[in-house]
Amino acid sequence: MRRFITFSMLFALAALAIPNLILAAKVGQPAPDFTGTASNNRTYHLADYRGKFVVLEWHNNGCPYTQKHYMSGNMQKLQKQWTAQGVVWFTIISSAQGKQGYIDADGENKYMAKMAAAPTAALLDPTGAIGHAYDAKTTPQMIIINPQGIIIYDGAIDNRPTDDVKDIPVATNYVNVALGQALAGKPVETAATRPYGCSVKYKGSWF
Amino acid sequence: MRNPNVRLLFLPLFMLASILLPGGRASAASIPHGTVDLIAENQWIAPGRQAYFGLNFHLEKGWHIYWVNPGDSGQPPRVEWHLPEGLNSGEIDWPAPRRLGTSSIVDFGYEDAVMLLVPVRASSTLPTNQAVQLGAQLRVLICREICIPGKAQISLTLPIKSMPPEVDARTRDLFTAARKSLPQREPGDWEFKVSDEKDSFILTAKLGRQTTQATFFPLEESLIDNSSAQKVVTVATGFQLTLRKSDQLLKPIKRLKGVLELSANEAYVIDVAVGDAHSAK
Repeated sequence: MRRFITFSMLFALAALAIPNLILAAKVGQPAPDFTGTASNNRTYHLADYRGKFVVLEWHNNGCPYTQKHYMSGNMQKLQKQWTAQGVVWFTIISSAQGKQGYIDADGENKYMAKMAAAPTAALLDPTGAIGHAYDAKTTPQMIIINPQGIIIYDGAIDNRPTDDVKDIPVATNYVNVALGQALAGKPVETAATRPYGCSVKYKGSWF
Repeated sequence: MRNPNVRLLFLPLFMLASILLPGGRASAASIPHGTVDLIAENQWIAPGRQAYFGLNFHLEKGWHIYWVNPGDSGQPPRVEWHLPEGLNSGEIDWPAPRRLGTSSIVDFGYEDAVMLLVPVRASSTLPTNQAVQLGAQLRVLICREICIPGKAQISLTLPIKSMPPEVDARTRDLFTAARKSLPQREPGDWEFKVSDEKDSFILTAKLGRQTTQATFFPLEESLIDNSSAQKVVTVATGFQLTLRKSDQLLKPIKRLKGVLELSANEAYVIDVAVGDAHSAK
């Protein structure tokens, strides 16, 4: 019995140590639920948005790849276009305090006003809890959840993995294509791609 | 972020190098947290022959650039050549990369110093007894904890002569070292098999010797989960390596291509057909 307890404790410890192997979200599987505090001081609970499409956008305002999509206005255009059609859009900042992209509520509100960003809300995730639950690796990384709470897209914003603004007009935007297909009741053809960009600056990560 | 002392130290060194090494290497161009220069293996270009050139990177401690498959984040260097008519560049020969990162995000790239070899073919009708300028516009992402995109314009002037080219003694060691860092063709008597299991690929290697260490770098993205540990099981004639599949891999694959590293400076290019779990047993 004692040995059994020791083993199960070890297993529990291992599960804590490698959460991305055990809890990682996957296309076709239920989206892990989360509660997040937004820069507008409101609390958002994913489960409250059953019945709606939800987009998760990982964000770091110091990352050249994030800047590519914000300086060009591309991300804001997507946010406006899809929230206008009832899609819920969460920008998620998983940078730990002291790391690139970390920002407090006030700073993020000013940034969003300056950039004319238009997500439903910007969630501040400095512990990385939401980021790790979804195994988010890069900024930007895009995840789409359907009204049944299933992940239907996970990956890059488009098919041009560069920091060059000139690539945006010639890129295929995976988020546009996936949301277009899903809102029309069709299956998402390209459901998983390799996300590109900067690594998410999690607590404890060394780069 | 940039450390001015390091730059002050480097600058005179490179100025000196450009004086000491005319022809074979031009002065280094600055990139964020490093330098890059274009160097030639031969003293001149000979019509009708192929010659090698090097994109020679030096990076400050802790900074890295990327392999052709960057892994979970990042971007490989991109080169746009500006060559006179009669000269044509080939693809970059990528040295075996290193795994960079420890936690849930693992990238593939190079730290400290690396030289990327590029073949350039000279047409047999190239006029001799003149000098030509080879230029390259380089775009490169340099990362440590953060990433900085950099650009550099590098060039080199070399004479064209009809006689067989002679190696430039001043750059010989750099080219020798660069070739050592390239993955080699696998020996003919080695055998590889890849079986497709539910969550992983199992690479079985028969090398005729016990092998305790192996790391696989996939040439294509989204095949294996980059951050998962690659479990090596040593057997009498080689090893078995377990590669966890990427979450982005939704369809079966026919072949597994990449670089297999057995130790520092011992890496091989492999391209193995993927069989089902049965055929590998």
